Amino acid sequence: MEKKDIRLELLMDAGNGAQSAASMLINEFAKEGKYVFIEPMIPAEISPPKRTPHSMSGAIVRTSNFEISCIGSSSDLMLVEHEILIDRRLNDKEYTKDTIILLDAGDERRNKDGYQAVYNRMDKLGLTYVAFNLPDVCKSIMLQLKGRGKNMVYLGMLTAIFNSNYDKMYHFVKTSYKKLSPEKQDLNCELYKEGYKFAQSEIDVRYSIESKRDDSKKVFMDGNMAISFGAIDSGIKLFAGYPITPASSIMHELAKIFPSYGGIVHQAEDEISAMGTVVGSYFSGVPAMTATSGPGLSLKQEIIGLAMASEIPAIIVNVQRGGPSTGLPTKTEQSDLQACLYGCHGDNTKVILSVADVEDCFYAPHVARYLGEKLRVPVIILSDYATSVSFKVIGEPTQNKLENIDDINDDILERFFLTRFKEEIPMVKNNQSIPGEQGKERRVTGLSTDGDGRVDFSSDAAIDAHNIRNQKMHILKESLQKPEIFGQEEADLLIVGWGSARGVIKETIDKCKENKLSVSGLHFKIVNPLPLGLKELLSKFKRVMTVEVAYGDRYKSAPFARELRNETLVDVESGVCEPSGRPLKPDVIMTKIREVLS
Amino acid sequence: MSSEKAVPKKFSIKDYKADSPRWCSGCGDFSVLVGMRKHMMDAQLDPANVVHVSGIGCSGRLPHYFNTYGIHGVHGRAIPIALGVVLARPDLNVFIESGDGDALSIGGNHLIHGINKNFNCVFVLLDNQIYGLTKSQSSPTTQTGFRTPSQPEGTFMDPINPIQVALGLGGSFVASTADWLSGHFLETMNAAAAHPGFSFVHVAQRCPKYNPEAWDYKSSSWYSFLNHENGVAPDQKFGPDATIVDHDPSDRSKAFEYAQRVPRCFGVFYKDDTTTCYAKVLQDKKNKGEQPTDLFAKVRL
Ligand SMILES: Cc1ncc(C[n+]2csc(CCOP(=O)(O)OP(=O)(O)O)c2C)c(N)n1
Ligand code: SF4
Ligand SMILES: [Mg+2]
Repeated sequence: MEKKDIRLELLMDAGNGAQSAASMLINEFAKEGKYVFIEPMIPAEISPPKRTPHSMSGAIVRTSNFEISCIGSSSDLMLVEHEILIDRRLNDKEYTKDTIILLDAGDERRNKDGYQAVYNRMDKLGLTYVAFNLPDVCKSIMLQLKGRGKNMVYLGMLTAIFNSNYDKMYHFVKTSYKKLSPEKQDLNCELYKEGYKFAQSEIDVRYSIESKRDDSKKVFMDGNMAISFGAIDSGIKLFAGYPITPASSIMHELAKIFPSYGGIVHQAEDEISAMGTVVGSYFSGVPAMTATSGPGLSLKQEIIGLAMASEIPAIIVNVQRGGPSTGLPTKTEQSDLQACLYGCHGDNTKVILSVADVEDCFYAPHVARYLGEKLRVPVIILSDYATSVSFKVIGEPTQNKLENIDDINDDILERFFLTRFKEEIPMVKNNQSIPGEQGKERRVTGLSTDGDGRVDFSSDAAIDAHNIRNQKMHILKESLQKPEIFGQEEADLLIVGWGSARGVIKETIDKCKENKLSVSGLHFKIVNPLPLGLKELLSKFKRVMTVEVAYGDRYKSAPFARELRNETLVDVESGVCEPSGRPLKPDVIMTKIREVLS
Repeated sequence: MSSEKAVPKKFSIKDYKADSPRWCSGCGDFSVLVGMRKHMMDAQLDPANVVHVSGIGCSGRLPHYFNTYGIHGVHGRAIPIALGVVLARPDLNVFIESGDGDALSIGGNHLIHGINKNFNCVFVLLDNQIYGLTKSQSSPTTQTGFRTPSQPEGTFMDPINPIQVALGLGGSFVASTADWLSGHFLETMNAAAAHPGFSFVHVAQRCPKYNPEAWDYKSSSWYSFLNHENGVAPDQKFGPDATIVDHDPSDRSKAFEYAQRVPRCFGVFYKDDTTTCYAKVLQDKKNKGEQPTDLFAKVRL
């Protein structure tokens, strides 16, 4: 089947290597010139018991001959290790009538009834499925590997099904398991070969995607890698963090390479401490960043308050996961918006950026530095689980090796719909010197101060400080451009989102155009402050609704809907607001759009 | 910490003075302020290269009163902030001022890791055995039975022994002094600053307002001084009746023994210049890091 766009998923018990097989497959796809986007599915526990629904692990891979902006709605092909996993996965309803399921029936003798129930379920849903049994030769090789290696069989099968290059992949398999003994490496290669042969002769499903990527330089990375590289390129020199999923991989990536770029990675004793170290470093003139996720963000809030009051820049990456509390640590959500906006005590004056995709992740640290250092405020970069782990093929970003923030490229500012500041930015404290500057020694404090930085509890000093802090935010507000619009500036319906919602909004609006529906899309990257002129912009649409991976219902506005209502007094509805842990799906939004327009 | 010795003296005591303090009269924080200014002058530290970092409390106000750089941070978290300064700028001289509540209660976790990381700074714990700024609640060092608004029938727990804490955590420099022993205080500061690593200095600090009974500064028969050529000499002027015990600060097990006398014992309990310094490890890593080649080499298709 020749296709432009395919989504496949490989599901296995955790620990059986589905992710490594999937990542080998997509690496090969990417090298072949296809566009790919991968979303790993990772259980929250390290080794959940096998053959249970909790053990579902694997990857969703979307590949196409055009640049992909989101993981999509449903899979064309699912290759699944056993009946429990497919039963679990069907609950997510990410299939269509055209979905083909390849179900390994190797466990059928262990649970005949279970398999039968799943067959019945798939029949009822009208799904096409193929239950297959691996040849005995695979089983005997796997026995020699103590039961391991099934992922290589599946990789072989997928190579055949997707008409990928067998020789190249074989070589890849051969060189991928360097830590194994040569005998075991060979056994893995054998399994790969047998899987390939098996699918060639026994599985009657084929897909191919023509590769027509341009020859400009491409890189293949996930959101957290991009943030790490961006931190280095933006001139940040200190990273302080405390392990938390899904932010940890930023620390891991930097720990490998930061020292050779003159950077320091500090693993702090907790998130409060990491935040303090960032503030100490920035006060001393060295740009610093921390990265965390929801629970860690809560801990950082007090020192974020200190940074606001004492006019010390700070960069905080918050990779959102499902909450509240430990919630869904390996699933995505966009529910931390208000915790970022208001989570700190007192009046809040901080900047909140969000990233739409992997490329934004690379440039966000640059913009955070620019805004943080110009305004001398804390800047939060909001990413989310989906973006952080999604590997994507993108054009190679330009390296800037930024030192002085005034040298930031206009293109980077524009990517975030921002214009360079033209005016002097007022400061509460006139002296903003850094240690080492003689004759300009100064103390900063969380206490109220006058313009000379002296502790001053008078009403005048308090009001002046509030005014100036907010004035800075207003200067930024005036420097924001109109956010990105998809479609016409007037329509029956506007769907609005922020951060990782961009890809889904874009794809949905494309579909609306095909279907001649009067629907437009609006997407924000900077979510605090919001730009001027929003009321006028929103008023051109008969209805406005948000799409967010956050909770909202008829009595409670979803977070971003609430902010927009508050800002514009326009009746912004909470459209698709389902914190299910899964990214937004274009099909779900389409269904909602049809419902709203009818 | 490096101390610059310049002759003739470039900086006089007034070069270290900033705003006027707002403490109660008779507060031990005044003596600490004066003693630390004297130390900076003795060491001829350039005020521009000094950063004082503090938490919240009466003691937390100290940085405001030195004409150096300073961060008056949040309650209990001076150590992480100071670590940020040290990691970013190893050229600076960093002092931390913290209270007994600040260091041993809300900031306990950071104290553990500050001592363990052994980064280069002088950490001064101003121990008045009370929460001063919030008006006299029991602190981790309040004497058992002492009545406070939060424990009106008398503080019911045994106090934490800060020296045992610091020694137990592997502190590389552990000393105790008192605000009213001006000579001893100054010498202790000088020794602490000369030590490479996290220098833990416990200071008995008078709070005439809320806990005047904590420290009987008028007599000296109730405490002892540790004496050694590698430590700090006893203060014969302000502590004439104190017992003097010889103690070699390189002897860790003896240090634990004398620590049991705290809070009735002043001097250098322990000192080891060879302990690994976290900030230095990270600095070295960075300085000898391989030169960057190509940021995207690993991910380019
Ligand atoms: C997060 C937080 N909790 C509580 C307080 C209130 N607070 C300010 S100072 C203080 C206690 C100070 O005691 P100590 O550290 O012994 O310092 P002292 O005033 O005695 O020098 C408290 C509880 C605060 N500022 N911040
Ligand atoms: S309350 Fe005690 S510690 Fe605070 S200023 Fe007054 S005397 Fe000093
Ligand atoms: Mg106290």
